[in-house]
Amino acid sequence: MNLAFAAPYVLLALAAAPLLYLLLRVTPSAPKRIAFPPLKLILDLRKPDATPARTPLWLLLLRMALATLVVLAMAGPALQPPGAAAGKGPLLLVADDFWPAAPDWPARQRAAQARLDAAGRDGRPVALLALSERGDPVLEESGAASARLRALAPRSWLVARLPTLPRISAFLQAHPDAGLVWLADGLQEADGRAFAEKLAALAPGAEILGAERPARALAAARNETDSLDVAVRRAGAAGPGKVLAFDAKGASLGEADFTFGAGVDALAKLVLPLQLRNEVTRLVIANEHSAGATFLLDAGARRRRVGLVSGGAAEQPLLSPLHYLRKALSPFADVREARPGAPDPVGVLLEDGVDVLILADMSLTAPDLRQKLEGFLDAGGTIVRFAGPRLAANPDDFLPVRLRRGGRTLGGALSWDRPKPLAPFDDKSPFLGLTVPDDAQVSRQILAEPDEGLPGKTWARLADGTPLATAEHRREGELILFHVAADTSWSNLPISGLFVDMLRKILARAGPVGKVAPQEAAASLAPLQILDGFGALAAPAPQVKPLPGKGFTKPDVDHPPGLYGSPDSPRALNALAPDDTFAPLDLAGLNLRRADLDSAPSLDLRPLLLTLALLLALADALATIWLGGRWRAAGPALALLLLWIPPPAKAENRDMAAALATKLAYVLTGDSTADRISREGLTTLSQVLAFRTALSPGDPAGVDLARDELSFYPLIYWPISADLPPPSPQAAKKIAAYMKQGGLVLFDTRDAPLQFPGGPSTPAQDWLRRLLARLDLPPLEPAPKNHVVFRTFYLLENFVGRTETGSSFIEALPPETPGERAPARAGDGVSPLIVVSNDLAAAWAGGAFGDGAYVLEPGGWRQREMALRGGVNIVMYTLTGNYKADQVHVPELLERLGQ
Amino acid sequence: MEPGFAFLPPEKARPDVAKAQVALDLARRLPALALSARQAAASLAAGAHGRRRAGVGENFWQFRPFIAGEAAQKVDWRRSARDDRLYVREREWEAAQVLWLWADMSPSMLFRSSLALQSKADRALVLTLALADSCIRAGERAGWLGLTALTSARDVVDRLSLALVEAARRSGDLFEDLPPPVPLRPREKAALIGDFLIAPEEFATLLQKLSAQGARGCALMIYDPAEESFPFAGQTEFYDESGARLRAGRAEDFAQVYARRLAAHRGALAQAARAQGWSFALHATDRPATEALLLLRQALTEGAR
Repeated sequence: MNLAFAAPYVLLALAAAPLLYLLLRVTPSAPKRIAFPPLKLILDLRKPDATPARTPLWLLLLRMALATLVVLAMAGPALQPPGAAAGKGPLLLVADDFWPAAPDWPARQRAAQARLDAAGRDGRPVALLALSERGDPVLEESGAASARLRALAPRSWLVARLPTLPRISAFLQAHPDAGLVWLADGLQEADGRAFAEKLAALAPGAEILGAERPARALAAARNETDSLDVAVRRAGAAGPGKVLAFDAKGASLGEADFTFGAGVDALAKLVLPLQLRNEVTRLVIANEHSAGATFLLDAGARRRRVGLVSGGAAEQPLLSPLHYLRKALSPFADVREARPGAPDPVGVLLEDGVDVLILADMSLTAPDLRQKLEGFLDAGGTIVRFAGPRLAANPDDFLPVRLRRGGRTLGGALSWDRPKPLAPFDDKSPFLGLTVPDDAQVSRQILAEPDEGLPGKTWARLADGTPLATAEHRREGELILFHVAADTSWSNLPISGLFVDMLRKILARAGPVGKVAPQEAAASLAPLQILDGFGALAAPAPQVKPLPGKGFTKPDVDHPPGLYGSPDSPRALNALAPDDTFAPLDLAGLNLRRADLDSAPSLDLRPLLLTLALLLALADALATIWLGGRWRAAGPALALLLLWIPPPAKAENRDMAAALATKLAYVLTGDSTADRISREGLTTLSQVLAFRTALSPGDPAGVDLARDELSFYPLIYWPISADLPPPSPQAAKKIAAYMKQGGLVLFDTRDAPLQFPGGPSTPAQDWLRRLLARLDLPPLEPAPKNHVVFRTFYLLENFVGRTETGSSFIEALPPETPGERAPARAGDGVSPLIVVSNDLAAAWAGGAFGDGAYVLEPGGWRQREMALRGGVNIVMYTLTGNYKADQVHVPELLERLGQ
Repeated sequence: MEPGFAFLPPEKARPDVAKAQVALDLARRLPALALSARQAAASLAAGAHGRRRAGVGENFWQFRPFIAGEAAQKVDWRRSARDDRLYVREREWEAAQVLWLWADMSPSMLFRSSLALQSKADRALVLTLALADSCIRAGERAGWLGLTALTSARDVVDRLSLALVEAARRSGDLFEDLPPPVPLRPREKAALIGDFLIAPEEFATLLQKLSAQGARGCALMIYDPAEESFPFAGQTEFYDESGARLRAGRAEDFAQVYARRLAAHRGALAQAARAQGWSFALHATDRPATEALLLLRQALTEGAR
């Protein structure tokens, strides 16, 4: 840091300080005159020097400091970072504008701006060269360069830096006295080291800005059996983080934490149900806004579509091989079958766009059928064949191995052998890791000719070494043969868990085929949506070119990362390919001066000095008042000082207000419509409570779970929007504590029309279930009709809202004593939560004319009244607990007392 | 010039209609002031105080035998008819008490601080006039010591006011700190009201002279609250009516000394008063005037019948 003055001549005024010293020294402040008749009593105390003829020294120093500060401030001092003024001539600012720079792009812009400003102050012209641009650096005035800098945005692809070097060297030759600043993104990618070396040779001592910033990126995502595994890579000392998953509509589906060990790779496991996993289209590192931290998933990562074809004609449950395959596959795959009796089932399924085709006991002899299947393999399909009587009788050669004629029967009436168990999988088998059950036994199989290469093709074998499953990579796809039938006639494998696991492994291996005709597959893919440098999807710019088919993994200026192809099955091109390196830039041993982005730009000291001067002036005024003994006159000055002290934080005021009045509260969900409805509903409910009951609640309060203190509110209404991300772990912890301390949360899923008995759970219910799974809660039950919550003020049957049909859940009560018909039952305390689904707040909300603000279903005055009564009951239940349940015993108690 | 602590101009201290009215209101709020009888002045003026001896009066004193040679109309025939001697009816000698009043009108009394209700001079004047009116209504006689003669006229307030204005015009507003030290006649009473910011010895000498023939009375020291609490701080220049000045760098340093000296001064004054059998009382101008009037009444009616 070095100090510079905008107007150094003003400093000459400091020479006048001694004059000030003299002036102040001889002019004392005037005393006040006071008439005092009993002066005679103390007149003899008069001392010759009793009056301060001179200003006290400390006051003098104070005033001189004040004057010095003002003079210094007028001189316009500024602290400038070192090197900002490197070089005498023009300044060349070379900026990396690629996605690794995106997360801290504003900071980079600020740092670059500071360099431009410093150059502007010194009257140096500047040239701004963004590495993604193709023009030569042009000298311009710093203001124009600033405007261009503000317009600069990071690109979502990388461009090699070396080709830019001739332009830089040409500029430096033209302006030998130029200073050079490289705003680097700190990555080795795009020949960073080579560029840095050349740059250090061209302009020794050039400044390199922001190279130490760590970066994180998503390299790959694999759909494993029970989770979506996301590979995270880092450059530099990046810390742990979180991967968020979004679906095509942008709704949040889940999140997973990752931590880097000592290495550069980390794995985030998104544990989601398979259905949800298939919905994921975009993975993002939280708080890292760059194209590299965004990973697009295409059909390749989705759930596989499986086609089943059987050689047998009619089908009977438990006897048909397709029955077992269907049962095994349907939980995790999209199973397709041709209509029974269709003339060409394989052709129908291929038309349908299956990724895996399973042929159970089929003999492939028709040439047109084999042509179709070869086309399917070309497109990357996977074919799984199962043996069976038909194949054994009539083997073809569309198989990974050559078959021996006739099969082998073990443990039959004419055999010495017993049925064979399975051998453990060897380490080349994709089934490695699956446990072999002891009771899986094979009694019949077809045998392969012991050709050369058979062991390499074998994925599973029996205990005696004969292959059970063989596979071959053929064309672009894979051909797999199970040497047993898919039904239980040859082995009991199809009814073991291993069968399901093996199929699942095969599906996880299988590549996508997509519903593309062969001639389309070869054609290029038109851009659909393109990522910008910050990782946001947008419509493609006109200069983006179509993707030239398969095998293109490295995005460039013509093919930025994004989605290409048809909207139904787009192909994703990601900024970082799985095998790309992602390493920090190594600057060791180079003659380059490093500077961090945070080393603040030129700091203008004027405001600081003037504030200090103002404070000193205030202190001087107070001192004068104190010396003159006029404390009472100092009242206004003190009031001014007090006004100047910032008021306490708003939250405290709010908490204070909340503590002074009983208030209903609602959760600020972030969905503005839901929040507005909650506020309106609770406002009307508060009015109704004040009108009908002894409770006069204050205005309802919206609470932010992350920030606000909850303990002031007896009841919190929480409308659930399934689209919103789940609350943070801290917020969940707060909610749990709130419930433990006796608060009641009224969850409203607002989806009664979507629910029907026995049906699947609705998105809001799933959302709520995920939230509640994290909390320690008592069991819930559908609220019984004689629960005390229905008896606290009005006698009710259910909580009615905008709809009437939804059910309500509440903490389960101890079981009812048989024989006792209690009119109202209650547990020991207040239930920590009530879950309703009828959208209560919308029914409570009152319009301008005393009617409802929202349309009710089925509607009517009575429904709204019942909704309000339900609200009154809930509030009364919250505040009085089981009091009403005890009230029913009062007649009995009175009777006993009478005796 | 600090507005809170200043001397008022002298003309503000002169009695006027408003002050007279205040004094009258004050006096009428209390019953008429009958002075202590035991020491009633041996005056020939008829008054309310029985002298326990036969004389001119309205009340019966005694019957005495008729002495030959007396005027025949003195015989009380009703009493004489009871036996065969003649009696004369004698009445008790009832004399009026005398109250000499004096209030300090000197420049130091013109002080008024922002803490006080009115200046010391105004308070003293109001009290004096009220006392005078009260006395006259009780049938006593009153006069301003050194200024007027004794009177029992009902418009005593107007008379005293006139006399004061006249004196002010004559003397050019120069009033003395103390009344003229003329000895009062035996058993007369006096009420001195002022701030008594004089040497205690002078005060003692004055009282000694006034009561040389047995007159008694009370002295009321009026002070401004600022003169007691000394509410000053910081760099200050004090001045008094005589033009003396005191510059204080920090006025608060003087507060303790002043408080000690003021207590000593008051103690000396009270001691001097007690030595002559006078009573001595204090009154602050931020207190209601009624308080002071009650104090004075109590001191003057001590031992009243």
